[in-house]
Amino acid sequence: MRNWRELLTVAWTGLTARKIRTLLILLGPVVGVAAMVGAVGLTESAKGDLKEKLATLGTNLITAEAGGTFGQQNPTMPKDAVARVNAVPSVLSASAVAEVDGVLTLPNAGSETYYEAFPVPVLAADSELPQVLEVPLESGRWLADADVKNHTRSAVIGAGLAKEYGVVPGEIRTIRLNGIDYGVVGVLGRFDLDPSLSNAVFVTQWAAKHDFDKEGKPTKLYVRSVDGETEKTAEAIPTAINLGGPDLVSTKIPSDALAASARADKTLQQTALFAGILALAVGGIGIANVMSISVIQRSTEIGIRRALGHTRSTIGIQFLLEALFIGILGGVAGVMIGVAVVHLVSALAGWIVVIDYGRMPLWIGLAVAVSVVAGLYPSLKAARLEPLETLRLG
Amino acid sequence: MSTALVDEPLLVGEPLLELEHISRVYGEQVKVYALRDVSLQIHPADHLAIVGPSGSGKSTMLGLLGLLDLPTEGAVRISGEDVTTLDDAERSRVRGDTIGFVFQQFHLIPHLSALGNVDTALLYRGLTKPERRDRAMAALERVGLGPRADHRPVQMSGGEQQRVAIARAIVTEPLIVLADEPTGALDSRNAAMVMEVFAGLSSPERAVVLVTHDLGIAATANRVVHMRDGEIVLDEIQTPSPFSGSTA
Repeated sequence: MRNWRELLTVAWTGLTARKIRTLLILLGPVVGVAAMVGAVGLTESAKGDLKEKLATLGTNLITAEAGGTFGQQNPTMPKDAVARVNAVPSVLSASAVAEVDGVLTLPNAGSETYYEAFPVPVLAADSELPQVLEVPLESGRWLADADVKNHTRSAVIGAGLAKEYGVVPGEIRTIRLNGIDYGVVGVLGRFDLDPSLSNAVFVTQWAAKHDFDKEGKPTKLYVRSVDGETEKTAEAIPTAINLGGPDLVSTKIPSDALAASARADKTLQQTALFAGILALAVGGIGIANVMSISVIQRSTEIGIRRALGHTRSTIGIQFLLEALFIGILGGVAGVMIGVAVVHLVSALAGWIVVIDYGRMPLWIGLAVAVSVVAGLYPSLKAARLEPLETLRLG
Repeated sequence: MSTALVDEPLLVGEPLLELEHISRVYGEQVKVYALRDVSLQIHPADHLAIVGPSGSGKSTMLGLLGLLDLPTEGAVRISGEDVTTLDDAERSRVRGDTIGFVFQQFHLIPHLSALGNVDTALLYRGLTKPERRDRAMAALERVGLGPRADHRPVQMSGGEQQRVAIARAIVTEPLIVLADEPTGALDSRNAAMVMEVFAGLSSPERAVVLVTHDLGIAATANRVVHMRDGEIVLDEIQTPSPFSGSTA
């Protein structure tokens, strides 16, 4: 153990005694690792905003839509579809909406022509929807059980519609649904996993039935599952809803599309990574070259050490440890430079920095491996030097 | 730290180092004898000078005495044990424990201080850093360079560098100190100082071997071996006289 400490000290002293040479050797692993860290970091950061959005939205949301049997119009799900889905063990929460078709929604008088041509979807929703979607309200409140109980004509509108209607937060606003006035009690925030909700009007199940004579059978379900079991849950939901019946239910994981676009451009990343590996390999050849020259330059020192009783293996290990230090130093410096480059370019380009720090030991390990392999030949060469040939006796 | 070779008490008259019918041949198709059937015994308290003209085999002899080379024929014995049969690692350890080298060109490691150079001889022996430091300092003080322990070779004169080399040679307390033209690269004043240090190295347990073609140095020895054409032509005992200057 003490010998190892001495060997490490001798190797470190050997490196630090020749600073310029050491810096030149270090360039190889530094450039290689920095290129690899930069390649991965920049391609990931370029999609950083999407990744962050994905992290906020979560990847455990499932939507289930009634597909209907052949020829059926306006397919729906059973009334107790939410209860059935909640029976699936991996389901955390669920909420339903029912499309209320044939309703003309007007923000003000005189807008009939436009909104007849471009109707606004009206959805009957339960009180759980914002919690399941994990979307906060931009202003006001969501439909409450009290609205159902007291038969109030309350409506919540999506953020896009609120903008279209010019709704100001805190403003007392009324919209007209098939000629019936509804008070806008809140504005639902944007939900990127289902942008259609942004332009919808939400009313209670009671209103859908009482004012528009719609039964309120769900047309779409929003389900949150246990993390990591989303796909399994999505497969189980159709069976849970139709209980083996002929009604078709299709499920989607809306975050999948977002996740796909958030994924870094693999081809670009691999190309840049390859360039980094190439730089590291060239750096390795540089290490082998410079160390081989160094062995020749230091042949007298090697001869002295051998004359003093240092064994061949001690000399070889000393040089191999120098290569190891070069790998560690080069790897660490390369990682630091690579991270700095990612931060700098991301700041200039306005990207969100995405760096997987868990991979850093891998990059450093790669630099160490290349350096040690590159240092093998010079180390063997040093170990094989005959002291008599280097000391010029007589 | 020491091997059995070092720790075994030596019987009076038993040689420390012995070359037994040594030949060293270079070349395969055309054989050139650098040494031919040479036998030599080096005893404790020997202060031996090996002298001879260029090409007489002095350097080859030094390489063999220092276990830096192996003979083509014959045996090299240290305290009775044939070291030619040892593998390279064992021979290196015996060399480190038994022999101290002083070279004509000093051969100090340039990036290390005087203390660091002396310390190099003590590495990989299971000593702690303070132990190594104490021993290296003691050796430097013995050659009068204690105050210059932190100086690098480039900051020292030739004579001082050679004294550092002597400190490095004796720090392991070797049984034999081998010196190759130790004053060859020094002016007369420094040469005298170095030879004074050498005179102080003699002890009843240790042999000092000087390889030189300088008769002024050879005069300081109590035994002189004359070589010519790879053979020992004369092995004489003499009364040593103080170093009075180089003849080279």
